[in-house]
Amino acid sequence: MFKVFRKPERLRIYLKQIMSEIDSIGLNSVGIVAIVSVFMGAVLTIQMAINFVNPLIPKYLIGLSVRDTMILEFSSTVICLILAGRVGSNIASEIGTMRITEQIDALEMMGVNSAGYLIFPKIIAAVITFPLINLLSIFLGIIGGYALTFVTGIVAMPDYLYGLHYYFIPFYVTYSVIKMVVFAVIISSVSAYHGYYTSGGALEVGRSSTRAVVYSIILVLFFDLVLTQLLLT
Amino acid sequence: MITVKNISKSFRGKQVLFDISAEFEPGKVNQIIGKSGSGKTVFLKSIVGLHGINSGEVWYGNREYSRAGFREKRAIRQEMGLVFQGGALFTSLTVEENVMLPLNMFSEMSRAEKIERVNFCLQRVNIVNANHQYPAEISGGMQKRVAIARAIVMNPKYLFCDEPNSGLDPQTSIVIDNLIRELTVEYNITTVVNTHDMNSIMEIGDQIIFIFEGKNWWQGNKSEIFNSTNQELNDFVFASKLYKKIKDVQI
Repeated sequence: MFKVFRKPERLRIYLKQIMSEIDSIGLNSVGIVAIVSVFMGAVLTIQMAINFVNPLIPKYLIGLSVRDTMILEFSSTVICLILAGRVGSNIASEIGTMRITEQIDALEMMGVNSAGYLIFPKIIAAVITFPLINLLSIFLGIIGGYALTFVTGIVAMPDYLYGLHYYFIPFYVTYSVIKMVVFAVIISSVSAYHGYYTSGGALEVGRSSTRAVVYSIILVLFFDLVLTQLLLT
Repeated sequence: MITVKNISKSFRGKQVLFDISAEFEPGKVNQIIGKSGSGKTVFLKSIVGLHGINSGEVWYGNREYSRAGFREKRAIRQEMGLVFQGGALFTSLTVEENVMLPLNMFSEMSRAEKIERVNFCLQRVNIVNANHQYPAEISGGMQKRVAIARAIVMNPKYLFCDEPNSGLDPQTSIVIDNLIRELTVEYNITTVVNTHDMNSIMEIGDQIIFIFEGKNWWQGNKSEIFNSTNQELNDFVFASKLYKKIKDVQI
């Protein structure tokens, strides 16, 4: 891990790598995140509408519940579990394949700090893109719920919109973004670690990839608990 | 000059190299030969520092490499070029980007100068009009030659080749062998080639070290091989009927 954060040999090359990783880790994940977020928002709206049957509970709380659930948990933790699968396995298998085909040894032989060159840009790219993906997911989840109310009329649209505005706590967004930054470091570094220390052949690359996803998910859930306890209580 | 003094290496308690000493001279093709599993790749990777050694010393000129710190090791590595058995080209980079990577990392050249140097190295290994192709789009022989171009792009003092002919047809093997020899003589490089290719041994082996069961079993040049009475060396070199006949004719 110490080698990852050594001074880069050539900053310009690292910046180029970071841009390339932002594309690979961030932009390429936007599609799946968008689909999942829209459907999560829509499904949440239906579930809230079904459960809020007591006439004493105002209907606008459906919009509020969808908003807060998306912000507090779904757009950070659930999206990160999906990203652990998509990005984590990608990072582990990419670096693992480079290891078994001696590309990492080739970098070392050139005098390049292979850990820094391969892992550092991925961590930075994840830290930059994950919070943006988080904000996008929150927005699309709320839009998903809004679209559902528009199509099905399960909740009156003015109620839903009022709920979205009602009792908004900006710190919840900050909390969500903080979680996303921590999860970005966990997913990228754990996956890169498992890829970097792959040995053997193609089978081991697959195993490293699986281990990377499993460990990332466990750590994401653990730190979700820790951060929630620290930041919200 | 590379000097290896009494190096030993073991993996999880299993000793692979036993107290090996050797000297590799500049301007000569120094070959490490031996059966598969004899420890020659471990020996080569121990010399270049990809495997840590349990005991012994490796010297590059008057600099001790085996106990060097991170910065010193990196400086020595920039004087080395290593051609891996599988080429180890970066699959996501084009041929030109592969060869240019060390220049991008460590040289102060302008982009035009870098391209000129890359083209010079590619032409030196007889690769033309393939700059923008990816490794997967070129043949195995071309990949090996690109790997050699990448290894020489920084004007190395030391060139290491791990089985450069493996998986190649005899004609391409000869091309690669001749290229290694030409580069060695032309730039007075200390070249160390790991091989079990008999043609290569007979063609370009100036100084040969035979590794048997992790030990430096025999040392000499290609003409001395024919007169050697070393049983294990003879069993390895003259395993085929053709080479037995050649030995008889030579004697």
